[in-house]
Amino acid sequence: MRLPDVSRREALRTAVALGSASALSACLDRESSEPVPTGDPDAKPARQHAWRAHVRHDDHGNTQLPRHQILLYLTLDGDGPPSATARDALAATLDALDSAYAWSHEGLLHSIAYSPAYFDRFDDSLPEDIDLPEPTALSPFESPTFDRQDAVLHLASDRSDALLEADRALRGEREKANGVSIPPLTDALYVDSRRTGFVGAGLPAQHQDAAGIPESRPVPEASPLFMGFEAGFRQNQATEDYVTLESGAFAGGTTKVIANLRQRLDDWYDEQTQEERVMEMFSPGHAAEGLVEGIGDNLGDDSQIDRFVDDIADHAAEYGRVGHAQKAARANRDDDGTVRLLRRHFESTDDIGSDQQVASLHFPSLQRRVSAFESVRRAMNGTDVTEQTPAVRQRVNNGILEYIFVRRRGYFLVPPRRHRVFPTPRPE
Amino acid sequence: MNRRELLGGTLALAGVSLAGCAGLVETRTAGVPPVLENRPDGVYYPSHVEGMSAVGTQTSGDYAVGLFYSYPHRFWNVNGDSVSLTEIDSDDAVHLMASVWDPETGTVLPETGLSLEIVQDGSLVSQETIYPMLSQPMGFHYGANFGLDGDGTYTVRVSVGAVATRKTGAFADRFTDPQTVEFPFEYSEAAKNDISFEQVDERAGTPGAVEPMEMDALPDATAPAPDALPGRSLGAAMSNDARLVATVLDSPPEGVDGEGPYLAVSARTRYNRMVIPAMGLSGRLSRDDETVFEGELARTLDPTLGYHYGAVVDDVQPGDGLTLSVDVQPQTARHEGYETAFGGLLGGMPDVTMQVP
Repeated sequence: MRLPDVSRREALRTAVALGSASALSACLDRESSEPVPTGDPDAKPARQHAWRAHVRHDDHGNTQLPRHQILLYLTLDGDGPPSATARDALAATLDALDSAYAWSHEGLLHSIAYSPAYFDRFDDSLPEDIDLPEPTALSPFESPTFDRQDAVLHLASDRSDALLEADRALRGEREKANGVSIPPLTDALYVDSRRTGFVGAGLPAQHQDAAGIPESRPVPEASPLFMGFEAGFRQNQATEDYVTLESGAFAGGTTKVIANLRQRLDDWYDEQTQEERVMEMFSPGHAAEGLVEGIGDNLGDDSQIDRFVDDIADHAAEYGRVGHAQKAARANRDDDGTVRLLRRHFESTDDIGSDQQVASLHFPSLQRRVSAFESVRRAMNGTDVTEQTPAVRQRVNNGILEYIFVRRRGYFLVPPRRHRVFPTPRPE
Repeated sequence: MNRRELLGGTLALAGVSLAGCAGLVETRTAGVPPVLENRPDGVYYPSHVEGMSAVGTQTSGDYAVGLFYSYPHRFWNVNGDSVSLTEIDSDDAVHLMASVWDPETGTVLPETGLSLEIVQDGSLVSQETIYPMLSQPMGFHYGANFGLDGDGTYTVRVSVGAVATRKTGAFADRFTDPQTVEFPFEYSEAAKNDISFEQVDERAGTPGAVEPMEMDALPDATAPAPDALPGRSLGAAMSNDARLVATVLDSPPEGVDGEGPYLAVSARTRYNRMVIPAMGLSGRLSRDDETVFEGELARTLDPTLGYHYGAVVDDVQPGDGLTLSVDVQPQTARHEGYETAFGGLLGGMPDVTMQVP
């Protein structure tokens, strides 16, 4: 059912995308009649990445990520460890945020994570069992800029007004958020980069004027993502438990990779049929068996990709194409067949470094070890398949590699909540 | 060369050096001639030949990259068995072409993977993964049509990926890292319209090929002459105008697993000796009605053999029969005059057999 106040919602979406102060004031006025639930700092989960129990799910039990999200990349002054003053300031900020918003999609979910460069500020090193290398290129054709800021604060809510108010308060542009005084983040850190995005049915279609999407306006209204398919089916995602560090000082934490990809979908939509898109997104087997209807909601809670991972060489020979999910899934299972990565990607029109609206994707992935992400990402290159047949090339007929251009990548440690404020490498 | 000479000439233009192109004034007013009817099933003279203008040459790491532009082209895209015509879009302003070669040896590098980003005043104009192509004047290169926002100064960033094929000898450890090079590109429609555009005479549509362009900045994308290939020559045979030249080395080049003679097949176009890359090729050696070798000839880049297809075999003896089968036609887009050859629009590439001398 279509909501009656479409114009207001569109104004809010635009406001998140632009981060504009004037748009924000306008939406605050309009949204004020619907209270945003406030929070109890004592009721927050011990894991910062505990989101699933606090967001919407679809009819199949698939997680519906908060529709509006912001990433604030943060940097400390100087070279050494953070000062006691900075520590107190950040603690006060995050505590205030906890009071201001319920831990839910109707309030605000947030998590702060720290980079290897941050931990390098200390004399101690991280425990051996924490797998957090410096970011690196993961394909034979990409040259991303690495996000080596000290920290990244991820904010997410279905309420764009709540998200924007928190964002502005955190950046010192207003004093209060949801009625609670928020000491700005900028007392401890400065915001090096602010990135925004959205996910969920309707939003990609409404943002398809961005560069990178053809003028035919092909993004289906029902699609949660620009490429026209659902993703993150429950059976093809790691659980939060699985990605959580089990022991050591950071038990209850996880690692987080965040990439930003530019999307160029002219050929994806205008040169290919839906059947070809299914082949390249899932697998040629999905197309041959007609498994995917429309955006793929009929797949329920399982993309069925595991049925086709052993067919890659045959598919390459028979169809001259292989699927994105098919390649990645090869490396995304442990010895027991359990999925290793918990992907939480969302769309954007950010073009980092310019004010232009360009279709892009922010790709956070949670996993116990960053090396698990790296192996899945490398499997996605399909380099072995290009050796088997010239029909599958480095980036052509090779999943979706033709249409995505990695621009940024950063690796971070998400500490458990008890260590979220400037952790040392060996917290007690 | 001046306009008079140009108009009086036939195909001389295709052979003109790049530096000479700027003064030529055959502007294109009548539009692109239609695709010829009754094209032969093989390499043929196209209806017209477009010149090109150099944007520049840049070197980074193991790669030299030359960037060129011309009028938007129609071309034929190849994906597996399917060959489909890509028409010129009304928004297309230019056909951009990039050639990648080894700055040390001048070897043109097929199968690197290539993408191209165009920006103007910090704003993205386009970014695409662009396709490998074969054209008669240029041979192997990467190309695509692009729209632009009118006359002005653009920046074109060309990103070259690692070479995807097996590499041998001095190439074994090279061409592994991606590189990005940046070109300033001053575009004006008037300057583009000064690029030569020549209708081909009565030879259009008949078997043959226009001469390769000679450009100071750009090495030839040709395969070695048969007598310049190392090893013992096993002969040559033609499959749909791809000339397959076979040789055998006493031992495989460094970087190939296995011991024993190395069977290498160098594929080139019938007329211009342009390298034909990205085929799936297999070979069978038979002796006295028995098969002594049967298997894939792997796509390989070697400093001496050039780009070729090769495999280690037990031995090769005089009188052996060598059968070569193209399992996957060359996976490169085709400019006009190449779209029916090498398995293209009109059917496959027949097996060829030669007897070892």
